[in-house]
Amino acid sequence: MRRALAALPVLLLIGTAAGLDLDAPRPAAPALDPAAAAYTYTVAPFVAEYDAPAPGTYSLPVIDRIEDHQLFDSAAGTTSLAALKGDRLAVVAFVYTTCSEANGCPLAEAIMHRLDGRIAADPALAGRVRLLTISFDPERDTPLRMALIRGAFKPKTDWAFVTTTGDAQLAPILADFGQPVSKLYYEDGTWTGLFRHVLKVFLLDEQNRVRNIYSTGLMSPDLVMNDLRTLAGENGQPVKQ
Amino acid sequence: MVSVARFVTGLLAIATFTPHLAHADETCMSAYMPKITGQEDYVYVWTVGVDGVGDGSDKLVTVDANPKSPSYGKVVSSVSVGGRHEAHHGGFSDDRRYLWMGGLDDSAIFVFDVATDPGKPKLVKTIDSFAKDSGGVVGPHTFFALPGRMLISGLSNDTDHGGKTALVEYNNNGEYVQTLWLPDNAVYGYDVRVQPRLNRMLTSSFTGWNNYMTEFGKVVSNPEAMKQFGNTVVVWDAHARKPIQVLDVPGAPLEIRWALQPRHNYAFTTTALTSKLWLIEQQPDGTFKASAVADIGDPKKTPLPVDISLSADDRFLFVDSFMDGMVRVYDVSDAHKPRLVREQQIGKQLNMVSQTWDGERVYFTSSLLAKWDKTGADNEQVLKAYRWDGKALTPLFTVDFTKEGLGRPHQMHFGQNQFYKNQIYGGAGKRPPAVARAE
Repeated sequence: MRRALAALPVLLLIGTAAGLDLDAPRPAAPALDPAAAAYTYTVAPFVAEYDAPAPGTYSLPVIDRIEDHQLFDSAAGTTSLAALKGDRLAVVAFVYTTCSEANGCPLAEAIMHRLDGRIAADPALAGRVRLLTISFDPERDTPLRMALIRGAFKPKTDWAFVTTTGDAQLAPILADFGQPVSKLYYEDGTWTGLFRHVLKVFLLDEQNRVRNIYSTGLMSPDLVMNDLRTLAGENGQPVKQ
Repeated sequence: MVSVARFVTGLLAIATFTPHLAHADETCMSAYMPKITGQEDYVYVWTVGVDGVGDGSDKLVTVDANPKSPSYGKVVSSVSVGGRHEAHHGGFSDDRRYLWMGGLDDSAIFVFDVATDPGKPKLVKTIDSFAKDSGGVVGPHTFFALPGRMLISGLSNDTDHGGKTALVEYNNNGEYVQTLWLPDNAVYGYDVRVQPRLNRMLTSSFTGWNNYMTEFGKVVSNPEAMKQFGNTVVVWDAHARKPIQVLDVPGAPLEIRWALQPRHNYAFTTTALTSKLWLIEQQPDGTFKASAVADIGDPKKTPLPVDISLSADDRFLFVDSFMDGMVRVYDVSDAHKPRLVREQQIGKQLNMVSQTWDGERVYFTSSLLAKWDKTGADNEQVLKAYRWDGKALTPLFTVDFTKEGLGRPHQMHFGQNQFYKNQIYGGAGKRPPAVARAE
């Protein structure tokens, strides 16, 4: 495990050295050790040491209902949650793409990437699930940047990467989902460029009802797959594992 | 600058390694919520109102716990909720912005905003429909944050006010989600704790409203009442919310504490009536086994062990006992062979214990239940703070809740200004020793 961990910064360096630096210009921020922020408010990397319960053997109660919201996408311009999702199931993750906290946004996106491959390969789910990554950093995560990141993932499903036109559009979305994020500041009031976020990933059913919420740091892709199969099987359709 | 490539490459790297790191709060809370490290600024004390003491109402009392503050060791705010509800336990929401506190008598739930002004919590919501919402559950006890919702263990029911009870879930908006009754062969409830890494949830078992709202002497002298206590710990599939195993743990097992370290697939509990420390351990086949691993004091004298607290490195287990007012500290490095390393008198009666993430400060409160607390001169009602150096507890400060006109102090939670101010700061967030190290 030590070797694997040690390899992480090397891979990050390789990634940077590869030169695909497409960031929009940003105000310079003082140097910061992300660990100083991360340790304070997030759970640690996680490996599920269990077999996820079999699909259809348990129920997922309705936790909440999500309204429609305007979103912003490089391909479609102004769009909305309902337009993107339709009457499909959805897995919705909130991120900001400059997030440097291993257990936050990058982990959420790593899990979404795994789900993308597995959903595409599952005949019972392919075409029935929309993966949706929504940025909560509209200032830096432009539609173009979101599109470029999507391209880098080479998704096998129609996994959508969207942002908003600004905080006015974003705030009601975060409030409706119950996804608190706030900017982290230095003591002198300068924004660190980081957000405080206890990231959640949301499972929506066909009627836009929240049927499960995952804490990204404690999330197992197997569990999400079986939850999707459980929901897909609710209307008498086949449940397969 | 974090490039697109770095973002994508970084996460692919993350997806391929399998670290084992500890995750928990300071130190006995939901792993789904953020913890605070470093010096706490406040101790929030959920306090049972006493007729003739102050306004007589249940209240959330905030005590300044930062030694650099001019009001260190003093009460800095107090929010009365009106009336007496048998204030008992509570817990933070998944984002730690709200503190949900329960009343065991009338099942009222009070939600405080602790984020806007951490030194001055504000009551923002009252849920008075718990029994109705849940289909008859009474006595909301443990409040355990799950992502987007609150998992609440009940103690009783509104049919016979006995011990048959359930787990109840609300979403973060305070809207009811579902009720999960305990299985027929283990109907009692008390604590509920999830270990996400194992997808296992444990529930323990106390007694119903009829007993906890009756004078302790009357309960003990009534053989029928003494039969109405739980003797089980239930192992659940946490995700499916299904009971999968019932363990015999006779004598009212109360607080459950999952170990925090990697590969420590076990939890501790203590039995109030039989004065034993129990190890609930996962076996190689995945099932769980309960074994009594130590006596707490002299069980014949019924010291009545109550709250317990496990250090972040899984080394020290603090066990409070009510009758003798003692804390006993066990070295549980070998979970099968706890070693008593310290016994110390804290007061005339003792119930709750909370330690900080770094294990350096330990807080105690005195009250068990309004009708079970001692009477006369023995009815001491205090919050006491100590420093723990691995060998002994040295007093830091005491708040006398009777003299201050507050009531009976019960469960404690920690607050910190910087956590809510969303500031990055250096030095304060000291990492605990031997915790959260990748293998």
